[in-house]
Amino acid sequence: MVMAGVAGLLLGAAFVAALPAGAQAPQEIPLVIEKNRFQPDVIKVKAGAPFVLVITNKDKGPEEFESKDLRIEKIIPGGKTVRLKMPALKAGKYPFVGEYHSETAKATIVAE
Amino acid sequence: MGATFVVTLREAFEAALILGIVYSYLEKIGARDGFRYVTWGGALGLLLSVAMGIAVTYLTGPLLDVGPEIITVVVIFAAVGLLTWHAWWMQQHARLIGGQVQHRIDLARARNRLWVVGLIAFTGVFREGAETVLFLWGILAQAGAEAGWGSAAGGVGGVAGAAALGFTIFRSGKHVSLSRFFGITTAFIMLLAAGFLSNGIGRLQGLGVLPLSDPLWNTSWLLSDGSVAGGFLSGLVGYRAQPTLPEVCAYVAYLIVAGALFFGRRTPDAVGLADPTRS
Repeated sequence: MVMAGVAGLLLGAAFVAALPAGAQAPQEIPLVIEKNRFQPDVIKVKAGAPFVLVITNKDKGPEEFESKDLRIEKIIPGGKTVRLKMPALKAGKYPFVGEYHSETAKATIVAE
Repeated sequence: MGATFVVTLREAFEAALILGIVYSYLEKIGARDGFRYVTWGGALGLLLSVAMGIAVTYLTGPLLDVGPEIITVVVIFAAVGLLTWHAWWMQQHARLIGGQVQHRIDLARARNRLWVVGLIAFTGVFREGAETVLFLWGILAQAGAEAGWGSAAGGVGGVAGAAALGFTIFRSGKHVSLSRFFGITTAFIMLLAAGFLSNGIGRLQGLGVLPLSDPLWNTSWLLSDGSVAGGFLSGLVGYRAQPTLPEVCAYVAYLIVAGALFFGRRTPDAVGLADPTRS
């Protein structure tokens, strides 16, 4: 576990090092979860520019933002707001779901 | 009800699988008294999953933004290390031990490494545990409504189903000959660890630590990640319908290195001590 601890520290350090984005702050895009749905359900972003999804869960229960394409699984507790750093995307459509209510919580990021 | 059943079954299956394997491993080497390591490890994983679920619920700001992800990624990579070490140890063990149960126990005790199976049980449960706990928590919170009770029953049923599958694996391990059992489980743990590693690399891509890249291929039409079968395969061997180049490289590189380590050579002392009557 010592190795794991060291690996964890290194990983944390690598992560922190990766945090400071360039001089220009990335665009922030709000996204709301309400009644187990995403609003809006289509998010348009500029291709090639990183951005930040500011996700607010207005429901009481937790929700998990999940995108298989983007390798992101992020829990958003009920009543909380999470800032999710998103990478620069190539032009295209990137669907995501709220894993805990995947029948209703479906939306897409469109990079163009 | 059906949807929550499937989600919890899928999430809990991987943990049950790992528990089933490590329990049957101890049974196989005649070290039933080591069961407590697995039980403690699994219980600790469950406890910390609940704690993490509670922590995530009350965290705010930057800690909530990235904290849980860093912990998850660390656990995934720790799991790869532990599984590899265990498989390697098992392989050494399988070569060293003869037919006598007592000899096996002595050897295991002498090496005093049984606690590692507890750590493996811990990582197996903790890895997806917090998410499952929060998922169940969410549906139980909504269980007041009539439809909510169905969902809650589905969630509980999913966990029970996964536990039953884990127990089945444990039982079937009994009927396989020792050398075959070691061979099968070593190969299986390799696939599992390779899947974990590629999953961890994918998460680093998602976190922006590694650059995101296009998928190499897309087999969603054949087997989607979201389907039950796809979910099982993803838990078992790290299946991805749309894997990226770093994920595939990590997977293949792990199999090559671990394959060479586990199956490629015999250590001199193992050859010397190997029991020729071993089946």
